[in-house]
Amino acid sequence: MAAQEPLLKIEDLWVSVEGKDILKGVNLTINPGEVHAIMGRNGSGKSTLSYTLMGHPRYSINRGSILFKGEEIGDLPPDERAKKGLALAFQYPVAIPGVSVSNFLRASVKAVRGKEIPVKEFRQELKAQMALLEVKDEFLSRYINDGFSGGEKKRLEILQMTLLKPALAVLDETDSGLDIDALKVVSSGINTLATKETAVLLITHYQRILNYVKPDFVHVFQSGQIVKTGGSELSEELEERGYDWVTQELTPSGVA
Amino acid sequence: MVKTIAKERVDEITKQTAEPAWLKESRLKAFESYLKIPTPCNRDENWRRTEVDALDLSTLNVVVSDSKEKSAAKEPAVVTEALSHLGKNLPYIYTTPQSVEIGNADSALLSKGVIFCSLKTALAQHADLLSKYLAPENLPTPDFAQNDKFYLMNQSLFNCGAFLYVPKNVILESPVLNVLSSGVETSIALFPRVIIIVEQGAKAEFVNICTADKTKAADASESLSLVNSSIETYVGANGNLSYLDVSDFSSNTFAVSRVYNEVRKDGSLHASTVALGGWQIKSDIQTNLKEPGSKSDIRGVVLGSGSERYSFNTIQDHISPDTTSTINFRVALKESSSSAYLGTIRVSKEAQRTDSYQSNKNLLLGSNAHADSIPKLEILADDVKCAHGATVGPADKEQIFYLMSRGLSLLEAEELIVTGFFRQVVQSCPVDGAGDWINALVADKIHS
Repeated sequence: MAAQEPLLKIEDLWVSVEGKDILKGVNLTINPGEVHAIMGRNGSGKSTLSYTLMGHPRYSINRGSILFKGEEIGDLPPDERAKKGLALAFQYPVAIPGVSVSNFLRASVKAVRGKEIPVKEFRQELKAQMALLEVKDEFLSRYINDGFSGGEKKRLEILQMTLLKPALAVLDETDSGLDIDALKVVSSGINTLATKETAVLLITHYQRILNYVKPDFVHVFQSGQIVKTGGSELSEELEERGYDWVTQELTPSGVA
Repeated sequence: MVKTIAKERVDEITKQTAEPAWLKESRLKAFESYLKIPTPCNRDENWRRTEVDALDLSTLNVVVSDSKEKSAAKEPAVVTEALSHLGKNLPYIYTTPQSVEIGNADSALLSKGVIFCSLKTALAQHADLLSKYLAPENLPTPDFAQNDKFYLMNQSLFNCGAFLYVPKNVILESPVLNVLSSGVETSIALFPRVIIIVEQGAKAEFVNICTADKTKAADASESLSLVNSSIETYVGANGNLSYLDVSDFSSNTFAVSRVYNEVRKDGSLHASTVALGGWQIKSDIQTNLKEPGSKSDIRGVVLGSGSERYSFNTIQDHISPDTTSTINFRVALKESSSSAYLGTIRVSKEAQRTDSYQSNKNLLLGSNAHADSIPKLEILADDVKCAHGATVGPADKEQIFYLMSRGLSLLEAEELIVTGFFRQVVQSCPVDGAGDWINALVADKIHS
């Protein structure tokens, strides 16, 4: 057998939105079960990367490739990517009034697993995950994200990740807008999620969440590129010295 | 086209049926007015986006079923389906061009002086009671009574329908059903008329279903049929009526309906109308809040596909002070279907402290779908609360992306969004089980 195939291999990825280049040559390799963190300032293109991975139609890939499980997914619609084992927890999940969380979760799990799950079995699985995330039962009959607090939205996102059990979960600023208690609950959800079967790509601009979730790799994102990669110690260094430190290190004159 | 209907038709009806003299007079009077009024065309504000020209009245066969109503031998499938959601063994009337059947007439609901029967039977057995509402001098005067050719056509030719009477302080906890099926017939004209009377302090639920035998789909426009209905509801002081209308006509049916609701002191009316199919559906719904404290809550769900056309015209008429009305109309249009909604809020000079709300939302799913929404406010009182809003647009792209990122195909995502869009207005429908039933009907049509 050859060496293990990477789960995700992004090579020289260039992406634009409405004609403006946002990603400018991203390279990233994630192996099964690894936890990666991407850190960077607001506006550095982190969210563009997550949307592009999931296939948002607004983002056009101009160059490069995204290989997922060895297959190019750049042209696939989002639902096909989800079925292949890719999932995205949104930074700003939208509300869908009139559609109950329970109906949606069942439809989604059925679509991704490709088969009907017996109601009872699904209920049990759901209740177990909900307990873990300290989500109340009444959540299920509410409409998707409709009138949810910031914390509730993020819990629902992680709940979905734990039900879908993707091979790669991309978590886009899942920590933003959470108070310290909610952050602990959500982090423990992420730690349950991150197993041999599920790799995690955590996108954040605070080091805070990395006190609870230990990444194998930390990448610094700047101006549409990964400019520095290290172990979990890199995040602490960033916290101490700020993003300017990376900028200065890369451009000795200090002019980025 | 739209050649006229001959007077002989009216004579035929009055001859064949043992109707009281005042009704014959009423029919002839309506017919005279009918003749004087020009046929509407799509330049008329109220008839925009309706294609009247394709209808040739002179070729239509006016169905006059002379068979007496009889007990139903076997429950029709459409009734079984409805009852599976609304409750078993509910009384129903099932009318087709050939027959009128009554089911579950032994229901306990029909006691304490409650009358539920075909209009023909009601005219034979309860003429005095009906004359209070149908005699020429007692007829209501909704806007469409003045100059609407189709309303007058119904008033002169109505030949089937139902009657519900709920006496003072009698409470009907479950609905009664009135079902009209045009069967597999083509080139027919049906003129149903439904009269619902809820007396002081009484409570009733009424479900009206219009359908066809769709197993043998007719070719549209080649053999058009007309279903021209009139529905009149009267809610007495402190009375309460929940009315649900489901229209699922065949693709060759031109359906016109005129609904007149009248609510007395502190009475309340909930009416939901669900339109799911037909070549064209043109419906006017006028609600007169006649006495202080009366309330109305009207909801609409329209799901169009193919080249179907829908046109709804609602009038919330606040005649008395301290009256409340709300309207929520939601329209989703697939393919090249279209809808025109015209919503009037009218507040008379006397109707101080009126509270009125009107909302019309349109979801365009098909790239050739089209929706118009026109609010019209005629407010003469100075102490009123009046709000209205309308939206027209495609399904939200971010919602679709969110759902697709969770494995749903584009079609599945749209379906979920549409069911959610409608669920918000049907879930709280006061008829038990109606919310789930409507959701199921909507899901069926989306999948078809």
